[in-house]
Amino acid sequence: MSEDNKLLKEIMSGSPLRITLSVLLGFIIGSIFMAVFNENVVATYASFFSSPGTTFQVAGQTIVDGYVALFNGSIINLSADNPVSMFRPITETLRLAAPLIMAGLGVALGFRVGLFNVGGTGQLIMGLLGATWISTRFDLPWGLHMVVALIVAIIFAGATGGLVGFLKAKTGAHEVIVTIMLNYVAIDLFTFFLRTPSLLLEHGGGGNPKSDPPALTAQFPRLLGDSFGLNIGIILAIVAAVVYWWLMERSTIGYRFRMVGHNANAARAAGISVERTYVWAMAASAAFIGLAAANQGLSATSGLTSSIHANIGFDAITVALLGGSRARGVVVAGLVFGAFKAGSPTMQILGVSPEVLGIVQALIVLFIAAPPLIRAIFRLPKAEVK
Amino acid sequence: MGADRISGGIKVNKISRNTFKGLALAAVATLALTGCAPAKVVPSLDYKACAVSDEGSWNDKSFNESVMDGIKKSKAELGVKTADAESNSSEEFKPNLQAMVDAKCDVIFAVGFNLVAPVNEAAKANPDMNFVTIDGWSEGNANLKAVNYAMSESSYLAGYLAAAYSKTHVVGTYGGMNIPAVTAFMDGYYYGAKAFEKATGTATTVLGWDPAKKTGDFMGDFTPNSGVSKTIAANQVKGGADVLFPVAGDQFGAASEAIKEAGVDGVMIGVDKDIAKTSPQYADMVLTSVEKRMTNAVYDIVKAAAVDKKPYADYLGNLANGGTALSGFGAFDSKISQETKDALKALQAGIIDGSINPLQ
Repeated sequence: MSEDNKLLKEIMSGSPLRITLSVLLGFIIGSIFMAVFNENVVATYASFFSSPGTTFQVAGQTIVDGYVALFNGSIINLSADNPVSMFRPITETLRLAAPLIMAGLGVALGFRVGLFNVGGTGQLIMGLLGATWISTRFDLPWGLHMVVALIVAIIFAGATGGLVGFLKAKTGAHEVIVTIMLNYVAIDLFTFFLRTPSLLLEHGGGGNPKSDPPALTAQFPRLLGDSFGLNIGIILAIVAAVVYWWLMERSTIGYRFRMVGHNANAARAAGISVERTYVWAMAASAAFIGLAAANQGLSATSGLTSSIHANIGFDAITVALLGGSRARGVVVAGLVFGAFKAGSPTMQILGVSPEVLGIVQALIVLFIAAPPLIRAIFRLPKAEVK
Repeated sequence: MGADRISGGIKVNKISRNTFKGLALAAVATLALTGCAPAKVVPSLDYKACAVSDEGSWNDKSFNESVMDGIKKSKAELGVKTADAESNSSEEFKPNLQAMVDAKCDVIFAVGFNLVAPVNEAAKANPDMNFVTIDGWSEGNANLKAVNYAMSESSYLAGYLAAAYSKTHVVGTYGGMNIPAVTAFMDGYYYGAKAFEKATGTATTVLGWDPAKKTGDFMGDFTPNSGVSKTIAANQVKGGADVLFPVAGDQFGAASEAIKEAGVDGVMIGVDKDIAKTSPQYADMVLTSVEKRMTNAVYDIVKAAAVDKKPYADYLGNLANGGTALSGFGAFDSKISQETKDALKALQAGIIDGSINPLQ
C-alpha cells in the first residue's frame, strides 16, 4: 500500500521538465515508426546500400509531412480554400478534447485519493445508457430535456462508481479488478438495451443494435452554426475543470480526499472515515466521467451504437497522468490528445497509419508513469518525494 | 484542380508566410527533400478515389478489406490517386468523411451500414461531391449511390449444396450478430437446405437459425476465431452437423478446430471471400465459399467514373451480374455428384430468371 502510494505520488509529482521530455521522446519514437514503415520509405530499402541518402531523405520528408498534416488537421488547415475548412480543425480539436477533459478530471480525482479508476469505459457506458434513455424515450421541452438527460447520465455513472467504492470500503475488493469487470457488465448491458425494442432499439430500423438519434430538444446546441460540429461540450468541460479545482483545492470534502490519498492511516487517525471517503471519491470520479457520457450521447445527431464510448474511459487515464491530476494540466492534456484525434484522419490520408498516434500517446504515458526510466535516459537527478 | 494536387509546393508557400518558425523550417526541408524523391512509374489519372472504413481495420479479412482491395486495384491498374482512413469507433466516422471532403476526393466510399447516417449527412452538406455507401442506402441524396448485395441468392445455393453433401443430413450455421447483414446469408442457407429436402424427400435439419422466429446461434460480436465461436461450432457438431456455415468474418480456425476435435468428417462453407484461396490452410475443409465480391464492385465503380466518364449509379450484386456467387469446389470437386452440380445450375438459373425465390 505505502509502496504503491509512493510510486503514484512520484508519477503525479511529475516535474514540467520530465513531462516535456516524455512528450518529446514519445514524438521522436513515434517519428521512427512513422518513417520506417511508410510505403514510400519501404520502397527505397531495395536500394538502401547503393544510395542510403535517398532513404533518409524520403524518411525525413515523411516525418515532416506527417507532422504538417497533424497541424493542418488539428489547428488550422493551411491548404484550405475557404474559411470554414480552414478553421474547422481547431474547432474539431476543441470538440474532441471536451469528453477527454471531462473523463480525465474523473480519473484524476481518483488518483488524488489513491484510487486507480480504470473503469471509465463502464461508467461512461452506464452514463450513456441513462442519457440515451432520457433523450430518446421522453418528450420534454427544449433545454430542460438536455439538462435532465445530462443529470441522469451523471447519476447513472456516479452510482456505478459509487458501487465500486462501496465494495472496496465494505469488502476490501480492489477497485482495479472491480472496475475492469464492471466494464464488461456495462458494455453488454448497453448492447442488450440497444437490441431490445422496448428499451433502446431504434424505431423502424433494420434491427441492428442501435438507438434512435437523441431528440432535437436534448441535443447539445452548436456554438458556431451548422458548418462546425463544435458544441457546448467544451464549455461544460471548462466548467467541470473549475468545479474540479474548487472541489479538490478549496472545499472540505476535497481536503478529506487529499488526506486519504496522502496517507490513509494518518487520515483515519485524524478522524476521517476512510471507507466513506472511498465511496464518495469513486462516485465523484465517475460523475465527471458521466459528464463525458452525456457529451458523447447528446452531441450525436444520429443513432448510437455501443462503440460511441470511443475508448474515452481509457484515454482519460493517459490524460490524467499527463495532466498531473491537476485541473489545468488535465485541460492542457485533453487538448493535446483532442488534437491527436482531430489530426488523425488528415495523417491517414498521407498514409500514416492511425496506430502511430496511438503509439506516441502510449509512449508519453509510459515515460511519465516510469519516472526512473526517463531519469535514466536523460540522466536527471532523483526527484524528492514529499 | 491540377494546382491543388501539387500539395507539397502549395503547403510550403503558405506555411512560410506563417509565423510558426519551426514549421516553416520543417516545410523548407520538405521542399528540399521533394526534389530528391524517387520518380514513380505508375500511369496517372486526375481522379482520386477515397474510402472510410467501418469499425475495424482494413485488414479484417472481410468486407473492409474487400473494399480496400478494390481501391488498391484501382490505383495499380487505373493509376488513380487514393486516400483512406480507418475508423476505430463510431465517433470517427464524421471526421474521417470530412477529411476526405477536404482532400477533394472525386468519390468517397463509406463502408458498412454503420456509416449510413454520417455519409448521408456528408452527402447533403456537400451536394457537388460524390459518395458511395457499401451495404447502406441513400436518404434522398442524389449524390449518394448504394452498393448492395442479394446474399440470400448465393447462400441458397450453398444451403442446397450443404444439404446434398451432408452425410448426417444435419447442417449448421451461426452468425456474429443477429443483424440483417448477417441473417441474409443464414436465410438463404436455410431455405436452400429445405429446398434439397423438398426436391429429394430426404429430411434435413438446419441448426443455428430459424428464419420464421428470427432466432438462432450468435456470437454477440465479430471477434475472429473466438472461444464462443468454437463452442457454438462444437455444439452444432455434437448436434450432428457435418457442414458448418459461420457468418462472422474469419471463424474458420475455430470451426475447423471444433470439427477436428470432435473427430468427425465435417466441412465448412466460407463467407465473403474464397476462403480456400485466401486461407489455404483450411482448403481441405472448405466445401465452397459464398463470395461477396466487393473488390470488383469498387473497381468497376471507379473505372466507370474515372476512365469511361459515366455517371455514378446504384449497384446490386446478385447471381445474375456475378456480384455474389459460389466459389469453385476445389478439393471437393470430385466428391460432389454430377446430379448435385446440375441441380445447382438449375437453381441458379431459376433464381436469376425469378422463378425461384431464395427466401421461401
